[in-house]
Amino acid sequence: MTDLPLAGFVAVSAVLLGIGLFGILTRRNFILLLIAIEVAMNSAILNFVVFGSYWNSISASSVEGQSVAVVLIGLAATEVAVGLAIVLALNRSRGSINVAEATTLRL
Amino acid sequence: MILELLAFLVLAATATLTALAALLVRELVHTILWVALFFVALSGFYFLVSAPFLGVLQLGVYAGAVTILLLFGVMVTRKRIFAREAATGLGPAPIALSLLVLVILATAATTVPSGTTQLSGFPIAALSTALFNVYGGWLLLLGLVMLPALAGSIYLVREDRE
Repeated sequence: MTDLPLAGFVAVSAVLLGIGLFGILTRRNFILLLIAIEVAMNSAILNFVVFGSYWNSISASSVEGQSVAVVLIGLAATEVAVGLAIVLALNRSRGSINVAEATTLRL
Repeated sequence: MILELLAFLVLAATATLTALAALLVRELVHTILWVALFFVALSGFYFLVSAPFLGVLQLGVYAGAVTILLLFGVMVTRKRIFAREAATGLGPAPIALSLLVLVILATAATTVPSGTTQLSGFPIAALSTALFNVYGGWLLLLGLVMLPALAGSIYLVREDRE
């Protein structure tokens, strides 16, 4: 059995969350915003899987982390679908998908 | 051990660089190509920590479906598909805030238990048992979230919405 340290994976996850947050704060295009949210969400899912794998090395065949990750992947895909529906509605009503221009809730 | 460490380092570098490239390049289509590579790198992580089912799910859902959905969104919303984005003002505040969160997270990451992740074989039957018995309620809840999301998406893109 060969193992990798847990801290390395957590560090990668932290860096990815930082990158995703940077994208959320700086980009104004709705699709880029969705991609930044996906990057941040993927870092969280990676954390769940890695900590589950760490727990797996302590108590045999526990699969909590992977089960949560399956649910989260489905949730993130749903979020992208709804986000793109909003993109299409925004593009039709305003002719642009710049989130800085979408100042009213009414599409 | 050395091969796994090498794979981890290559995957970590790929994931970080592709995520950065996806959020920094100006052409939206290039962004989507980079983010597809990012999803593939993450699925590599899942294969590495012996979660092959999640790796396949990541490839199918993210690298497949989500990438195509995003590409579809780009195709519908712009006249020229390779049009460049307007340059965004990279103000000091977002960079500072991201770096602050990164420092806090990195500090927290040093306090994780100094254990190792298990890379050995993993019974996939245990995952299916847990997913449909112990966490069956979660899956049901996910379906209950997806249904109104589907209905809401259809309502949002309807032409004669009132």
